[in-house]
Amino acid sequence: MLYKEVIMAIRVNPRLIDDLERFGAEDVQFCYHCGDCSTVCFHSDQMYRFPRKSMRFLQMGLGRKIETTLEPWLCYYCGQCSEQCPREADPGETMMSLRRWLISRYDITGIARLFFKSLTTEILAVIGVAVLTGAFLLYYGLSQGNFSIYDGEGAFLPSHFIHSFDLLVGACLAVFLLINAVRMWFFVMVRGTSFPVPWWLYLKKLYLMVWHFFSQRRYAECKSTRPTKIFMPWIVHLGLMLGYIIMLVLVMVFIEKLQSGPRIDWSVHIFGYLASVGLIIGTIYFIRKRISRKNYVQYKKSHSTDWVFVILLFMIVLTGICQHIFHRTGLNELANGTYIIHLMAVVPWLLRMPFSKWSHLVYRPLAMYFAEIRRDALERQDAVLPSYSY
Amino acid sequence: MKECRIGVYICMCGTNIAKMVDVESVAKFISAVPNVTLVKTYKYMCSNPGQEMIVQDIKQNQLNRIVVAACSPSMHERTFRGALRKAGLNQYLFEMANIREQCSWVHDDPEEATKKAMALTYAAVKRVELHEPLESIFVDMCPNVLVIGGGIAGMTTALELADSGYQVYLVEKDSRLGGNLARVDLTAPYLYSARDLLTERITRVLNNKQIQLHLQSKVTSLSGFVGNFKANIQKQNGQGSTGSKPFEVRIGNIAVCTGYKEFDASRITHYGYGKLPNVITSFELEKMIRSGRIETKEGKVPQYVAIIHCVGSRNLEFHTYCSRVCCMTALKYVHEIKSANPACYVSDIYIDMHAFGKGHEDFYKRSSEVKTLFLMYEKGDRPVIHRAGPKDDCEMLIEVNEKLSGELIEIPADLVVLMVGMEAREDSAEVAHLVNISQDKDGWFIESHPKLEPVATTTDGIFIAGTCVAPKDIPDSVAQARAVAARILAKISRGKIEVDAVYSEVDENVCSGCRFCNKLCPFSAIEYEEEKGHSHIISALCKACGVCVAACPSAAIKGRQFTDSQVIAQIDALISKVEYV
Repeated sequence: MLYKEVIMAIRVNPRLIDDLERFGAEDVQFCYHCGDCSTVCFHSDQMYRFPRKSMRFLQMGLGRKIETTLEPWLCYYCGQCSEQCPREADPGETMMSLRRWLISRYDITGIARLFFKSLTTEILAVIGVAVLTGAFLLYYGLSQGNFSIYDGEGAFLPSHFIHSFDLLVGACLAVFLLINAVRMWFFVMVRGTSFPVPWWLYLKKLYLMVWHFFSQRRYAECKSTRPTKIFMPWIVHLGLMLGYIIMLVLVMVFIEKLQSGPRIDWSVHIFGYLASVGLIIGTIYFIRKRISRKNYVQYKKSHSTDWVFVILLFMIVLTGICQHIFHRTGLNELANGTYIIHLMAVVPWLLRMPFSKWSHLVYRPLAMYFAEIRRDALERQDAVLPSYSY
Repeated sequence: MKECRIGVYICMCGTNIAKMVDVESVAKFISAVPNVTLVKTYKYMCSNPGQEMIVQDIKQNQLNRIVVAACSPSMHERTFRGALRKAGLNQYLFEMANIREQCSWVHDDPEEATKKAMALTYAAVKRVELHEPLESIFVDMCPNVLVIGGGIAGMTTALELADSGYQVYLVEKDSRLGGNLARVDLTAPYLYSARDLLTERITRVLNNKQIQLHLQSKVTSLSGFVGNFKANIQKQNGQGSTGSKPFEVRIGNIAVCTGYKEFDASRITHYGYGKLPNVITSFELEKMIRSGRIETKEGKVPQYVAIIHCVGSRNLEFHTYCSRVCCMTALKYVHEIKSANPACYVSDIYIDMHAFGKGHEDFYKRSSEVKTLFLMYEKGDRPVIHRAGPKDDCEMLIEVNEKLSGELIEIPADLVVLMVGMEAREDSAEVAHLVNISQDKDGWFIESHPKLEPVATTTDGIFIAGTCVAPKDIPDSVAQARAVAARILAKISRGKIEVDAVYSEVDENVCSGCRFCNKLCPFSAIEYEEEKGHSHIISALCKACGVCVAACPSAAIKGRQFTDSQVIAQIDALISKVEYV
């Protein structure tokens, strides 16, 4: 069957640019499309050209078009484009804002959009969930356990209960992320791909998702066109990410071993320590960058949601370590107290993930995966219809 | 006749001539020609040492004819004539052989080129033998000036001249001063009020006793020549009918500042101008802005305004040129619309954004700041305007192939503004004919040199300024107007004007009065004297083109410095069988 596209005029929407301002894209209107940014970008290639084209779609308000593109996810914000921009239109920040906007579009609940647009709502929601979590845990602990027992018989928050609680929160997280990922697939691979994609390509390219998830190779590649070393942010980012993952696995699977004590079980705790070091170093590194705002364009502007994320993370790491020390030193009351505070931060932090920037953990590897599937599919298409150009 | 002592100077022009022509061989050949007293070659004959050499040779060797074999006479004839004058020799006893443009630059065989240079120089020598001393004539310069057109350019010229103390006749066809600028609200890029700019000028014109203002009037006839024109100014009553008696004025120079008219948008059917009520021209928007309310025909405040550039400009069908002012005017509208209604969305649909002038690029950037949606379309392509459907939140939809995204898009609009370009006025041909100047293919008046003589014309004493020459903005029009005033003041300050001695003369005894030449003269320099029954050439107007000389059936007209004997001697020399060795 020959593929044929019926060209319909797309309506421009001059309002979208106002909307995106809330997501951080404040200067996109200055762009006059010289194309310097796309030329300088290491990741921009024949098939996925950005940031100029993404900027154009945004200026024109072609929201339905942007929804179907992968370009924002292919950008790692090395900031070179923004440094080169003769009009100070900040293409790098525009791509960042588009990622935030895409997250809000993939999200079926509309919560992401609400959070990105209103810091107050987000803070209230975080506090609300924290208070609910705290109240519930306090009620549960007091109703069945003893505040001065941390672990074992009569524990205030027994580890099997925490395990079930964690799995419940994890399940919520997974469900939301899965729904959003499916929506992303639908936007990109169904609505946004006008040529046929054979099913086996999904299998053939599956390794890419794993590879990109664990290596973040493309982030490292950004350095090659920069005089300053971006290598460092890549290492730190990788460490931070591995820290999360290890912690997540420990909490979801090995929580019962982790919580037993006061003897240190090195078979699990060694991972916990390593992950904590990764998280602490990573968090401090990025907070410093955001505060000093020097050297890297990408840290010049921070969205309010970025701060909520780091502050919560910092609280989690701090209370986690305190709780660990208190437990090991026999200060069980303090350990239980910090544990509740710890969980009050963990639960909103985890539940917030599908609606925040953190979800790029899922979308980025997915985007690389989809991008390569599309590239392969198009090449197959070109072999049939050589005249068609994307 | 006194013995001819001819000096021949062969220029190498650096290597321009020397690389193709063996100048030494030319010199050797010419030195053997009878009457040639002296031959010299030099690297740059036009340089000061080169000229000084000629002056000294004339004095020391009693030379009485000079030939310079070098570049085109249009380049350096004046220079060498000056050298002759300095040496006390009549400047017309001189001839140039063009061995650069017509020889070394166009040939690639050195041997042939050298022979040709020999022939050209030899012919010049043969011609110069027959040259006669001629004297330039001087005519009086009338200091009065006629300014046609009362727009910003015309008023500026008039004020500049009147302030210098000279009588100015300012003729305006309309019933008011100000021209097209009076139809404009603010000006780009500094958003000065056009009304303020004009009011000051108009008040000064009205109060200036040296300016005689003729509103609703036309110049109906013009005769004479530079320094001595006579013009008739006639008041127009109603529909162009002649009213009172024409008013005759004597003037020395004329400034033509007749301006432009806007392109008629209804000539383009795609835009539905005249059919869709809310498709308006830029001047209609100006009118709305001046009245203080931007609204649709239904009286609603538009939510979406679209501006389309290059209407009638930069396409093969209408005008190929750029009208220069529309881009910045469109950006000005963006600011005016946005300041009237900040909630309004403005789309600016352009081919290229020409922001070339002072302050223009900044103005363009400021227009981006207010989130104007700039959309680019391909030259040769055209946006199409439809009525929107009942479900749409706008009146119209503009469909266009957007170049920067590569998408076919539609743009919502409640009001569409067409940026109509400038074109030559319908009566420009009439004006050109009246003052005897030329028009280009688009009807704009032609300057005598586009770069070096931007306000002079090929007719002495006629100057052009402003948008009758080509589309331009206010600063450029004012600059030209002041340039015209400066040129005219320079002429007036000399009191008399020198007329080149090279012109044609009618031998009144031979002329039969057939008047054949009168019609042919491209400079209107020949008049017929009824009472004497023969034609007369006004030497001040004659450019010595020679058309009348060739055309006269009775051979009654002689071209000074181009007499039959001189020209034939030159041709004879060129075709004679001389051995060029």
